[in-house]
Amino acid sequence: MFLALGTGAIVGIIIGALLLIIVIWYIGVMNSLRQLELKVQEAESGIDVALTKRFDMLSKMLQTTKGYAKHEVETLEKVVKWRSGVPKDATLKDKEEFFNQMNQVASGINVVVEKYPDLKANTVFLELQSAVANTEEHLQAARRLYNANVTRINSVIVTFPQSIVANAIKMVKKPYFEAEEAKREDVKFEF
Amino acid sequence: MEDKFKKFNETKQKSEKSIILGGILLVVGVILALLLGSNMEALLVVGIIVVLAGFVFLAIGATKFFKLKKTFKTDVLTERFKELIPGITYSPNRGLTEGDVYSTDFLKRADRFHSEDFLSGELDGVTFASSDVKLEERHVQHTKNGTRVYYVAYFVGRVFRFDFNKEFVGSLQVLEAGSPKSRGYNKVKLESIDFNKKFKTYATEDITAFYILTPDIMEAIFKLEKKHPGRIGLSFRGDHLYVAINNNKDTFELQLFRKIDDNMIKEFEQDLLVIKDFIMTLKLNNNLFKK
Repeated sequence: MFLALGTGAIVGIIIGALLLIIVIWYIGVMNSLRQLELKVQEAESGIDVALTKRFDMLSKMLQTTKGYAKHEVETLEKVVKWRSGVPKDATLKDKEEFFNQMNQVASGINVVVEKYPDLKANTVFLELQSAVANTEEHLQAARRLYNANVTRINSVIVTFPQSIVANAIKMVKKPYFEAEEAKREDVKFEF
Repeated sequence: MEDKFKKFNETKQKSEKSIILGGILLVVGVILALLLGSNMEALLVVGIIVVLAGFVFLAIGATKFFKLKKTFKTDVLTERFKELIPGITYSPNRGLTEGDVYSTDFLKRADRFHSEDFLSGELDGVTFASSDVKLEERHVQHTKNGTRVYYVAYFVGRVFRFDFNKEFVGSLQVLEAGSPKSRGYNKVKLESIDFNKKFKTYATEDITAFYILTPDIMEAIFKLEKKHPGRIGLSFRGDHLYVAINNNKDTFELQLFRKIDDNMIKEFEQDLLVIKDFIMTLKLNNNLFKK
């Protein structure tokens, strides 16, 4: 069949086939980038949920320690605007700040507990302390999942030739959710 | 205990002697029948009689040894295990049910199922159960002379079931080999490159993998894998953690031609304390997350 075609036609078919392969590859990379981006967004909303849950738990915990942890109550009141959940326009930086403020409150409560041993005997407080630790675990999991997804999408974005598609659809590297290590360690409860 | 060991060793030696004698008679009988019997009919008959006698001695020895193994488990091991883990139940003749074993959701359904050496109890507030498990697959081979059916073991080892101390959504599996048997699992990549190289992680919800497999727990799983040779698989489902170690080992069994002594008992104790090792290393006794 090819013999019947002229050289120009054969070159045309080859170019057409190559173009088709490139278009299919382009769509494939674009779709996988979009899917990864969706995963990053999902993971970020997981952080929002965990942050709100942690805020609620810390608020409840502070109610039981009101007389003892005045400074922590004040700190938490500063971020009271987050009570109804993480605002939609909140940036990742805002969330990191919120996260770190809550860690300050949690570590502050820990110090208070050490000062007032009778708090340790309060069963409601102990239950809340356990719940706070659990929300912390959930938050860490959400943070790690988010960062793992960011690593995946960022590695695609910077790798050639996928980077061409990423640039074309204006997809940029996603920021990591950073936590201050020292403060995170403070939050660990010792029983 | 020394007296007990002496008695067991005496009985064991008798059964071993019977097995050795049976073996020798078998070999001698076969030689007589095949090599010399071709020339003299009388030697052929003697050879066959010697072979039969060999079988009888072998059977007597094997039966005695089998009985001894059972008695040893009920008389010695049960008592020793109860000293190490108070309240433990040890049933040498039964094991985890098929339902329990397949609840791991990564062990393939077997054509022939066998389980024994059932252990159950509570340690540091964690309920556990374990047993030896052997799973075999049926193979059919068609030859000129007919059809041959045989079984090949694809899992020989131990399966453990523990209460799990965290509440989570969906299921999670951490496997050195194989894959989940149910649908709905996604492959999850964790931050640790070494962990991802050694294990394949599957979860129905990605977040569950990150919630359960904290850096501490990943390190603990690594340690356990190094400590316990064989292919290891962990499955977190519902309120339970299932662990399966495919190590081609039949635990708590006496061995022929090996003296029963303190070293052997220590090995059995180590096999028992694998349960404690899992509970402590994976921090299953941490009640922080239990409601």
